[in-house]
Amino acid sequence: MSSEEREVYEKKVLDKLVDLLLDNLTHAIDRVRPGWKVRNEARVEEFKLTLYALNRSPPGLLGLSLVSFFILIALIGPYIAPFSYDMPLVLCDRNAYLAPPGTIITVKEGSLCSEVYGIKPGNYTLILGADDYGRDLFSRILYGARTSFVVAVLVMAIGPLIGITLGLISGYRGGSVDETIMRITDVFIAFPGLILAIAFSAVLPGRVSEILDMFPPLASATLSLFALKPEHVGALANLVSVIIALWIVWWPGYTRIVRGMVLSARENVYVEAARAIGVPTHSILFRHILPNILGPILVFLTLDFGGVILVEAGLSFLGLGAVPPIADWGRIVYDGAEYFPRAWWLVFFPGLATLLAVLGFNLIGDSLRDVLDPKTRRRIEFRVKGKR
Amino acid sequence: MPENCDPIIEVRDLYISFYTYAGVVKAIEGVSFTVCRGETYCLVGETGCGKSVTSKALTRLIQAPGRIEKGRVIYYPKPGHPIDITSLDEGELRKIRGGEIAYIIQDPSAALDPLYTIGFHIAETMNAHGLVRSIREGFREAVKYLNKALMPDPEERVKSYPHELSGGMKQRGVIATSLSTKPKVLVADEPTTAVDVTIQAQIMKLLKELKSGEGLTLILITHNMGLVAEMCDRVAVMYAGRIVEEGAVLDIFKSPKHPYTRALLNAVINPLVRTSKLESIPGTVPDLIRPPRGCRFHPRCPFSSEICLERPPSFLIGQDHKVACWLYKDEAQGVEG
Repeated sequence: MSSEEREVYEKKVLDKLVDLLLDNLTHAIDRVRPGWKVRNEARVEEFKLTLYALNRSPPGLLGLSLVSFFILIALIGPYIAPFSYDMPLVLCDRNAYLAPPGTIITVKEGSLCSEVYGIKPGNYTLILGADDYGRDLFSRILYGARTSFVVAVLVMAIGPLIGITLGLISGYRGGSVDETIMRITDVFIAFPGLILAIAFSAVLPGRVSEILDMFPPLASATLSLFALKPEHVGALANLVSVIIALWIVWWPGYTRIVRGMVLSARENVYVEAARAIGVPTHSILFRHILPNILGPILVFLTLDFGGVILVEAGLSFLGLGAVPPIADWGRIVYDGAEYFPRAWWLVFFPGLATLLAVLGFNLIGDSLRDVLDPKTRRRIEFRVKGKR
Repeated sequence: MPENCDPIIEVRDLYISFYTYAGVVKAIEGVSFTVCRGETYCLVGETGCGKSVTSKALTRLIQAPGRIEKGRVIYYPKPGHPIDITSLDEGELRKIRGGEIAYIIQDPSAALDPLYTIGFHIAETMNAHGLVRSIREGFREAVKYLNKALMPDPEERVKSYPHELSGGMKQRGVIATSLSTKPKVLVADEPTTAVDVTIQAQIMKLLKELKSGEGLTLILITHNMGLVAEMCDRVAVMYAGRIVEEGAVLDIFKSPKHPYTRALLNAVINPLVRTSKLESIPGTVPDLIRPPRGCRFHPRCPFSSEICLERPPSFLIGQDHKVACWLYKDEAQGVEG
């Protein structure tokens, strides 16, 4: 065995980290629910192997770290941001106007800034610069991560759900049900998704704001979800409209692929056996068909997560969705384009943030495909198991 | 039909077609038979003759592109209480599937979902028929049925996934699943094709014991003549979507009437007759998109004549022995269909 091969067989630091984490976790669960560890030992082992496999794919690791970083920022970003997303720092220091990255601004004692907006007097470095109102770009990008993340999560929670359910029904029922669902899907696919989303996000806000007015708790919940100030409740309607618009256009792809997979999965003898033994249709669909086609769907979902972020940024860039002063990556680019190339940072940094987030999801999706595919998975598994 | 037969399943003039791109495959044409309560009824024939399709039609499991064109399947849960399965709605039908008429599918490794344990399969079935309140409860019950299906070490095996079991164990798992709903009819579609001979013997012994123990009616589908001779009370021989001969097992083996049955018995080792040489049947199985006119066997039949271009009815020759062949027109005691 060459030294190179030997290296591959050894457990990496990351593998040990996985062991440490999972061992402690299973131990903790075992304490709450005695016997859990023994019963689920195989499952935990399998999960560990999945993570080991992921550890052996550098792009996957890169994707994982990018995505974890993005999620972390989305969760804590609004709390660690030095300034609020709508703080016009020009009121404090004229230098903040289109300040290039690294500009130092001074907030004087007793100025409007410290009196009204409660910013402590002192010197501040605008790491990534500021826009034409002097709003800190770094803070806005942190807030923007939250906006993208919330939109992506909400879209991915509902859109694919509709798509997968319709695909399951279509593929399993067949006949005229299949024909009807698929023709409707075709109509949606034939129409460019982005155009449709533009149309919907342009039409919906009026109705959405009426609904939000009717249910104040809903509005305030959405506000805190996006980490927005209460006075910006008016901007919500547009954000929510984008989400609804994306729900409307985001399912056909799933219906298509799920239907295709169901068509082959339903021919499995165990599906017929389940039918013959009198198992109800919904159990067959969700217990026997869906779990057996979940691998590819999971990959598609991960890849698509980046897609939603991109489309959402695109819509904002076109002036739909987030309205000022809401921080949104696409919107920051749109507003900054006016000053391009003089204030290049207004376009470059939010663009880079979008790129990295989308890249992260794509890389993860790609390596998940390898990890979840039994063929490549076993190969990785043997490599890990070799030296144990 | 034998005397004092209490029918449990009656199939009347069944027609099933498959609408494929190549054309309409007339898989079953005018099949009628009656299964008596408590007997073992066998459907015999070569691959593609429609045995499995017929068995699936018993609970309307035929899926698109297949369609039941015509005919009735009548199930008698109690003597004198007919239920027309062909016109039942899906919800009612689901109770009968598994609950009253259960299947043992031929390939046990394919019949079990690889994602679930044997216990889960049994529990799910019982849960679907409302015999247990939850899957968890069904899991506890599962051991009992695995025991019944003579699964070794059932307490452990109930937690096993299909890939952890041998073929014979899987087949026992499938049988336990079918038994868990206490069905009245068990349809075994070639239960032994996927397992080796020693397991075959064990499985058949098990089925025999279960049949007498649980008072089951067994419908056995096979192409294995040895199995037929050993297991069956009555046999229906199928050829190209029709029943060509039906009768008590001894009658069929001792005095086969239909030329196809005779050829078939000459082609395999007949356990009751001393055979010096096995013969093959000349020709090939007909294309069911364009089946031969009249008797479907006539192109391969050494006795065929003009009249064979007309479809032969079922001639009753002797007690409970029917044959669909013009050769027996004169000695027939009665005509059916």
